[in-house]
Amino acid sequence: MTKFRYPRLVAPLAVLAIGTAMALAVGIGHTWTDALSSEITIILITVGYYFLTGSKGDVGAIYRRRTDERQQHVIMKASRLAMLVMFALTFGIALVMVARNENYWQEDVIGSVGGVSFFLGIMIYGTHEEDAAGTSRGIMASDAVKGIEETDDIAPPM
Amino acid sequence: MIQRTCKGTLTFPSMLSNLYIVKNEVRNYRRKKNLSQAELAEGLGVSRQTVIAIEGDRYSPSLPLAFRIAKFFEVPVETMFDPSEEMVK
Repeated sequence: MTKFRYPRLVAPLAVLAIGTAMALAVGIGHTWTDALSSEITIILITVGYYFLTGSKGDVGAIYRRRTDERQQHVIMKASRLAMLVMFALTFGIALVMVARNENYWQEDVIGSVGGVSFFLGIMIYGTHEEDAAGTSRGIMASDAVKGIEETDDIAPPM
Repeated sequence: MIQRTCKGTLTFPSMLSNLYIVKNEVRNYRRKKNLSQAELAEGLGVSRQTVIAIEGDRYSPSLPLAFRIAKFFEVPVETMFDPSEEMVK
C-alpha cells in the first residue's frame, strides 16, 4: 500500500470531503445559500483540524494517529465522555420531541445503535471464559476439592 | 497485596476519578544520566508528555513499558518501581 505524501493532510481532507458531500446534500434538498454556509463552516473546521494535527502534545499526537499507550488511555476516556454526552443529548432531544408530539424515531435509532455498539465492543474486546482454558474450572473441579481435603491446617474435630 | 488491588474504589462510578499509581524513580535515574525528558522519551519510544506524566506520578506505565524503562536504565524493574508505594489519585 502506498503512503500518502502529506500524512498531515489526510484527516483534514477527509473532513472536508465528508463536509462537502453534506453541503451538497443540503444544496440539493434545501437551498444553495444554506449549502454555502455549511461549506464555510466545514472549511473552518478543516483549517482548525489541520492546525490541531500540527500541535505538539497529546492533541497533535492523537489527531496524527501516532499515539503511545498513555495517549490510547486518553482516547478511551475521551470516547467514553463523548458517548455519555451523546446519550444525554439524544435523551434530551427525544424528551423534547415526545413532549412536542413530534417524531422521535431518529433519537431512538441513535440511542439504540450506540447502546448495542457498546455491548458489541465489550463482547469483541473483552476477555472471554473460553480464553482461560483450564484455569478457571470453578470450586467444584475435582482437583480443587481434593486440594481442600489435603490441606493440613484444618483443625481436628474436638 | 491482593487486598490492596481489591479495593471497593475500583468499582463504578468511583473508578472514574481514582487511578492507582505506583511510585517510581524515573526522574532520579534520568537526572543521574543527564538526560532530558525529550531524550528519554525518544529512547523509550513514547511522547515527552508520557514521560512527564510518569515522572509526576500521574500515570503508571504498562508492564512492557515498565520493563523497557528498567532496561533503559539497566536496573531491575522493582528498583525503578516500588509497589509498596502505591497510591490512589
